[in-house]
Amino acid sequence: MSISVLITDDHPVVRAGIRALLTNEPDMDVVGEASDGAEGVAMQQEFDPDVVLMDLRMPGMGGIAAIREIRAAHPDRRIVVLTTYDGDADIHRALDAGACGYLLKDTLGREVVNAVRNAAGGRKVIPSPVAGRLAEYTPRVDLTPRELEVLAYAAKGLRNKDIARVIGRTEETVKVHLKHIMSKLDAADRTEAVTIALQRGIIHIDD
Amino acid sequence: MTIRIAVVDDHPMIRAGLGAVIALESDMQLVGEAANGQLAIELFRETHPDVMLMDINMPVMDGVDAIRAIMSEATDDSSVVAPRIIVLTVYAGDDDIHRALDAGAAGYLLKDMVGGQVIDAVRAAARGEQVIPTVVAAQLAEFGARVSLTARELEVLTMIARGLRNREIANEIGRTEETVKMHVKSILAKLGVVDRTEAVAVALERGIIHTS
Repeated sequence: MSISVLITDDHPVVRAGIRALLTNEPDMDVVGEASDGAEGVAMQQEFDPDVVLMDLRMPGMGGIAAIREIRAAHPDRRIVVLTTYDGDADIHRALDAGACGYLLKDTLGREVVNAVRNAAGGRKVIPSPVAGRLAEYTPRVDLTPRELEVLAYAAKGLRNKDIARVIGRTEETVKVHLKHIMSKLDAADRTEAVTIALQRGIIHIDD
Repeated sequence: MTIRIAVVDDHPMIRAGLGAVIALESDMQLVGEAANGQLAIELFRETHPDVMLMDINMPVMDGVDAIRAIMSEATDDSSVVAPRIIVLTVYAGDDDIHRALDAGAAGYLLKDMVGGQVIDAVRAAARGEQVIPTVVAAQLAEFGARVSLTARELEVLTMIARGLRNREIANEIGRTEETVKMHVKSILAKLGVVDRTEAVAVALERGIIHTS
């Protein structure tokens, strides 16, 4: 029985690379290529693949939302993330959403092939660089949705006054949120909070 | 005439993808792959490709430094024909584009381009044309004049982005806090922003600094 694989990535060149790699394997079969999360959700419905390879950063519906949606309909679907995002928050989000594996894009072809085979066999796929990343940052930081929103605006360079206006709260409230954010991230000021959050994948500048 | 191509990218998937796309073209030949800028220089010396596809963000040595080194080596040695180097990157900041073109890149492509566009770009570059797609040109146009920070200002800005305070930056660069404040003031003015957080946000967006 060959392993059917659906590739979900917005970069055509990456899709071509994964396809070329998997096509070399006699026991693997690329059944489709999706270029964003929504297409990935639709195509896994159509093709019922054994393994879905999923990028995280894509236009429209991103990888995390797609994983959640797929797993809600198919709790057994094997989804392996393949991304450049190496922040611990990214990894946690993907695993929480229901991914069974997490690979970084500098993973060698051989390892990607093995990961697909392991995922199809029902095993978790967490290579040591990814596990190391999780271990490096414990405990996990839990920001509230509002704190995340405020932090994202701070990262875009908005001042407290502007953030207050955008979220419809007072400047005092924004200051309290920032105080909590800095304390949770163990940051001395907002710039450091933004830097840590970017580094850990809690927020992304391209969001 | 066959176009001889070298592919430089730290992501194996991207190299495999470009290899697969190139293999379909009868007038193109993949002559080698490298995973960072340093290896790209060696690959250039060994294979003298007509066209190099070059990523920017790579370990050991980045693409811009590699382009500069390769172009300067080719210029110094009259027996060597300079390759046409096309950047292929996720970096879309105007400063990234400026730096690559200044270093001698013949083109600048973003990684969301489809295979066919990359192939067209390789052919155009091999003919001696500049390859600047509309989205890249628009990015240059949007931000207007290039921001030119001094090496010291860039150093200070990078430290601000790491969350260092003025006192700590002063310590690291061996200057007084007053001097650092002066650098910060100049950075804010050049970037047209009002505070440090906004400076970091704008510098990241424009590719003047990067998170990784």
